[in-house]
Amino acid sequence: MRPAVWARPAAGLTVAAFGLIALRAGSLAPLRTSAVGESVLRLSWSARPERIEQCRRLTDAELAERPQHMRLRWECEGRFARYLLSVRVDGRIVASDTVRGGGLRNDRPMHLFREYALRPGERRLGVTLRRIDASVRLDSTGGQVAAGAAAADRETREAQERRVRRAEALPDSVSLDTVLVVPTGRVALVSYASGERKLVFRTGQ
Amino acid sequence: MAAALLALLIVTGLYLLVFYRVGAPWQSVERLQADPYLGRWIRSLHRFASDAMVIAVLLHAWRLFAQSRSWGPRALAWTSGVVLLAVLFISGWTGYVMVWDTFGAELAIGGARLFDALPVLSEPVRRIFAGDQAIPSAFFFINLFLHVALPLGAAAGLWIHLSRLARPTLLPPRPLLSAVFGALTALSIFFPTPLAPEASLLTVERHVPADLFFVFWLPWANALPPWLAWTGAVGTFGLALCIPLFLHRPRSGSWTPSVVDERHCTGCNQCPQDCPWDAITMIPREGGHGVQSALVARVNPLRCVSCGVCAGSCAPMGVGPPGQTGRDQVARVRETYGVADVNELRPVAICCEHAAPDYLAPLRARGAEVRRVSCAGNLHTSAIELTLRAGAPGVMVFTCPPRDCRGREGPKWLHERLFNDREAELQSRVDRSRVATVVMSVGDPEGVLDAWTAFAAHLQAHDTQIPSAFDDPLGAYCEPVPLENSR
Repeated sequence: MRPAVWARPAAGLTVAAFGLIALRAGSLAPLRTSAVGESVLRLSWSARPERIEQCRRLTDAELAERPQHMRLRWECEGRFARYLLSVRVDGRIVASDTVRGGGLRNDRPMHLFREYALRPGERRLGVTLRRIDASVRLDSTGGQVAAGAAAADRETREAQERRVRRAEALPDSVSLDTVLVVPTGRVALVSYASGERKLVFRTGQ
Repeated sequence: MAAALLALLIVTGLYLLVFYRVGAPWQSVERLQADPYLGRWIRSLHRFASDAMVIAVLLHAWRLFAQSRSWGPRALAWTSGVVLLAVLFISGWTGYVMVWDTFGAELAIGGARLFDALPVLSEPVRRIFAGDQAIPSAFFFINLFLHVALPLGAAAGLWIHLSRLARPTLLPPRPLLSAVFGALTALSIFFPTPLAPEASLLTVERHVPADLFFVFWLPWANALPPWLAWTGAVGTFGLALCIPLFLHRPRSGSWTPSVVDERHCTGCNQCPQDCPWDAITMIPREGGHGVQSALVARVNPLRCVSCGVCAGSCAPMGVGPPGQTGRDQVARVRETYGVADVNELRPVAICCEHAAPDYLAPLRARGAEVRRVSCAGNLHTSAIELTLRAGAPGVMVFTCPPRDCRGREGPKWLHERLFNDREAELQSRVDRSRVATVVMSVGDPEGVLDAWTAFAAHLQAHDTQIPSAFDDPLGAYCEPVPLENSR
């Protein structure tokens, strides 16, 4: 039994039609991206960790040995502090991690981005960031009082820069403890407000 | 087909580019979508054509893989093709992110998650999408730049992809091209792709309308740890690149590169013209065997795929893969017909051994004397003439579909030599009504067998004059000299 003359074109048209339907269906397929009825707690911030350092005041003789462009009165060695991040939802700890600055030497700002699944509804959220390493005070036993107006001015400037760096760094401890209603399919965002030096909360509309 | 679709993508993309704004990406696409006359369907056409291109490229790659056409000289085309496929996927990624709808955001976040697993940037890229700040325009500008630059780079990469081929064919047959473009246009007009809602980074989308042709990997990438997703992606890419290493040139004698018998080369320059792989050059002849010409053909074995097309192109039968030269073919015909009873000779079906091996038995059952040849382009016209002069009523050559020839261009050159007097032509003294060529394509057994039945009936009806005895072929043909003994 030979196929009719029209059978081949008809089969071609049918295949083409199914091909187009498949093309459009594949191009607009609904892709499931999250569990049903899920919300998200998102932590995202970028902040500079406090630097834990031991500083020594150089003597005039030591300072004179340095090249002109490297003459800082205070010589500091140290590292950036580690912090303990703790996340609690309704009193239950969902994360407790050590976080530190970015980069191979951890000398970059702490860039943090974490997401945790959250059931919608009224939730008590607690986020705490506490410094692990103890701070170290300046050592001013070495060296002598600067002589001359220029040297004193430089020392003042250095002290000012250290104060600014400390002020920009994360405090010893910041925390956010709040009760909120998390709507279904929304993101509860916790970020760090560097101006106010505290964790702030924001939710999607 | 992929190249034609790339051209369509570039044309439609240029139109969309005019209206795109990096400062308000979704809003600019929304304005396009609101234009029912042109903007909506050109955007849809751009999207559907890109999907069709993925399908075309994957089918092309699968065909070449299934036919083991990636070894030796074809390795460059294969590896560059794999790289171009990766470029296509990355370009698609940037295109969907540019729209900045829910799907674009999902894709951006998925990509950022993978990128953050690499020790490149200390600040996670995902922080851009945290929702506490507006997405910088620079992000969309980079996407736009990549989405324009990558396809242009792919067009340049196409040159490398095709560099080993002589006379590459970029466009499909016109009816197929028109049908595909027409179907995509109709689909775009009658079923345009909708625009998903604008991305909201503080909202969790349960479903997004995803283009699975480009982001089939996304569910796995989201479910797996990033390092595992990277391992899978890099492993798949590396494995695809290395496929030519696993597919070596077959070791049998018939797959060794062509060689030139300089004693018979007349320097006619025909084999370099016919070689589909640019593997033959003409060089000055150095001394030698009673010099006939200043130039002599030289085969580059690194570029030769042993298709044997050169053997069919050489009138004096001085070139070809060992065992497949014109002289070898003539010798085999002599061997066959030297002992045959001329009254029992049947029409001969010479079949390309790559075309459709399953049809050989049905052809035999219909009275054909079946012979195989490595490629229709390898068949020397002298072998056909000798077959007819030996007493065969007719010769029908079954070829691959012209666009699916393993050696490239075999059917084309055979047809030219048989019917259009291309060099190494079938001599005018041969009755053309006893010779025919037919495409033997898989999936068309009726067509193949009908053609053979009609040809046999035609031979019987015309009662073609069959010589009563085996002609003396030595008057017309060279003495067969095995190539390996000729140097």
